Amino acid sequence: MLTMSPKKSLGQLIAGMILMCVPFVLVAQSDSATLSSGPTYEDILQGFADPSRWLTYSGDYSGKRHSPIAQITPDNVSKLSPAWTFQTGTTTRGRGFETTPLFDDGILYVTGSNNLAWAIDAQTGRTFWQYRRNLPNDLTYGASAPVNRGFGMLGNRLFMVTLDAHLLSFDRRTGDILWDVELADYRVGYAATVAPLVIDGKVIVGISGGEYATRGFIDAYDPVTGDRIWRFNTIPSPGETGSETWPNDPDILAKGGGGTWMNGSYDPELDLIYWGVGNPNPDYYGDSRPGDNLYTNSLVALDASTGELRWHYQFTPHDLNDWDSNHMPVLAEIDWQGQATKVVMVANRNGFFYVLNRVSGALLLGKPFTATSWAREIGADGRPIVLNDGSKGCVPDPWGSTNFMPPSFYPELDLFFVTARETCATFVPEEPQLQPGQASFGGVVYIDGDQSSGALRALDVHTGELRWEFTYPSPTFGGVMTTAAGLVFAGDHQGNFMAFNAETGENLWHYQTGARIWGAAAITYMLNGRQYVLIPSGTTLTAFALPE
Amino acid sequence: MKSPFYSTSRFPKTCVNTGHSASTCIKSTRISRTGIISAALLILCVSISSAGAQPSNPLGADARAASIGGVIFRAQCATCHGADAKGISSIETPDLTLLWTQAGISDGSVFESIKQGVPGSIMPAHGFPDTELWMLVSYLRSISVAGSSTPFTGDELNGRKLFNANCGQCHRVDGAGGSLGPSLTGITSRRSQELLSNSVRDSNALIARGYKPISFRNSENKLVQGVIKSEDAFSIQIMELNQKLSAFMKSDIAQINRDVSSVMPSFSVAELSDSELSDILSFLNTTR
Repeated sequence: MLTMSPKKSLGQLIAGMILMCVPFVLVAQSDSATLSSGPTYEDILQGFADPSRWLTYSGDYSGKRHSPIAQITPDNVSKLSPAWTFQTGTTTRGRGFETTPLFDDGILYVTGSNNLAWAIDAQTGRTFWQYRRNLPNDLTYGASAPVNRGFGMLGNRLFMVTLDAHLLSFDRRTGDILWDVELADYRVGYAATVAPLVIDGKVIVGISGGEYATRGFIDAYDPVTGDRIWRFNTIPSPGETGSETWPNDPDILAKGGGGTWMNGSYDPELDLIYWGVGNPNPDYYGDSRPGDNLYTNSLVALDASTGELRWHYQFTPHDLNDWDSNHMPVLAEIDWQGQATKVVMVANRNGFFYVLNRVSGALLLGKPFTATSWAREIGADGRPIVLNDGSKGCVPDPWGSTNFMPPSFYPELDLFFVTARETCATFVPEEPQLQPGQASFGGVVYIDGDQSSGALRALDVHTGELRWEFTYPSPTFGGVMTTAAGLVFAGDHQGNFMAFNAETGENLWHYQTGARIWGAAAITYMLNGRQYVLIPSGTTLTAFALPE
Repeated sequence: MKSPFYSTSRFPKTCVNTGHSASTCIKSTRISRTGIISAALLILCVSISSAGAQPSNPLGADARAASIGGVIFRAQCATCHGADAKGISSIETPDLTLLWTQAGISDGSVFESIKQGVPGSIMPAHGFPDTELWMLVSYLRSISVAGSSTPFTGDELNGRKLFNANCGQCHRVDGAGGSLGPSLTGITSRRSQELLSNSVRDSNALIARGYKPISFRNSENKLVQGVIKSEDAFSIQIMELNQKLSAFMKSDIAQINRDVSSVMPSFSVAELSDSELSDILSFLNTTR
């Protein structure tokens, strides 16, 4: 066994160095011979407590994407300037550079399209190493969306999923692969794009491929060995709870969709993982799958130790519009009718903003945040009162009223910031042939581009009411980050990266990055006394800071 | 005399498709006119029933196929991959002589990569006839690094112990070990025993890219030592001897000393006997 524990290795290393120092005499004088062991689970648990770190997708487990760093303020943000730009050298036709970089000890760990990855000097943008996976030529879903949303990190290990549906563990110092496990057979239609969620002793990942005849799942793996600890299937097996919401046909259940391609959040006290589940398959054609089709288009709360389902809430029963519920669930403690309440908040592709009690799964609030005509209210039974399933025109398009681009929650203001998409689509379903490796949308969608726009919206979490908005000329896929200085950072489809006053919505600064900001949200960190803000866009990663 | 494959002016067309330089195009055209390829093709074609995307090379080990493949390679591929096929670091093209040392690589997958291109890279698809693609595969096979040809006769178990005691602090095998030096998993499939032995005896003989040694004093006059990972005019990114990635602005560094020995020690026969070294190599040969 060559793996060295940090304590042992110090002695071993010094001994080794002394042994080695015939040609390199100065080594023994160097006082830096301590092996860096990297962040622990406890470090990730601390979230934003250490501003020189960004250790998990949203910066902490809650999904708020709200940093306490306040060097950049509404007063000085107009002076924000690019410090460096990193070019990936790889494009994502039709999609974006969707990653969230992780940051630790001066180094950014970044994944890119086509399963490239880098360790980057956070001060200069220069690389330490680059990784590129040799991908097969017959990718399925992975060929149409060759994206990746980021690394997970634990100690000196990084974790990344691949377009051919594997999970890799890297040595973060070299980019060497430590282990490689297959999540599912990519040839059937699977791919993987999520940023792994690292919790105590587990790496949690989800899967893409709901447009194909696949069955989604959420998996937990051992960070050291790569062994699978548990799997939660998002489509039940025949006879299991939830199977009664499907036809009594094992073949339909085995191909029911329910991808889990966006990351989840985690409540360490409840030991619950919150994760969104995608559309049923086929997307638009529902006659072959009568019923609610659990657990598609739902938020599931899983016991982190066992993967067992604790509760679920289905946003769009029997979805016919490809409104995957793959959003970052945002966890917060808010005052709810006079009581401090643990909630999970989701702005959904179906156009509703939801607040749920995250202990019980009970619905507290469900209000439209766009002009969706699909439904305007949630009934007393917690189900939407559907007015137009899409066949009568003008419901949100298949990309939805928002999508997986991260929202942000500002606790001091009780405001939820979300990128809203106003679109108009008519759905014409058609029975598809289900074939392994072939996408099966099940119909055609007509989108009226003239009736579409985008907006950054600030929602009051107690009422779902709009506090302010900043409109964009087209539907937008940029994510949101907030900082405790009172700033909102957001990106748009025209390539602008912008800062807003969180209370008023006033635009304070913008920078044209040269390519649309798609699926990505900013991160921020302190390095050598300066606050940096980073945004991926097109083939670049740009770091901004105030002038020295 | 022209084979049916060459009834169109294929080479110039390929130049347009792949965006190769004009000079390459002219060269290609000249080569195609020599008739060498065409003549050889006709002979070869007799033995090929169907040249589809097959898992194994229908041209097999035919030396003529490799030879013609070499001509095509120099005309069509060398601009990016180098005349020696070892890649060009400034445009990050891979060393093709190491292709078959990678897991999961087969004649069929190399064929497909040339035909379809590599998504997300500058490697384009190539609309060559399948026969020519297989000739390229034959050529790449023929120049592929074969690893060690001499048998490994050392004691693998003792080799593992010796590796752990002497090498594992800095080198990794099969997912365990240090990060200062290159991973040695499967190294015997890429490098000969002789070359590996020489590197152990004289660690300065061949220092791999990404492991060039360096030392300097930082802004606090503290000695910093390690290996260079990246560098531009203003900054330098290194791995320090404690296996930590660190970056420095050159304006903070008085003088960089590059004239230093490899951070790997050389092992004399007194420190590591020939037999012990053979044991270590035999152990490394078990890693994949």
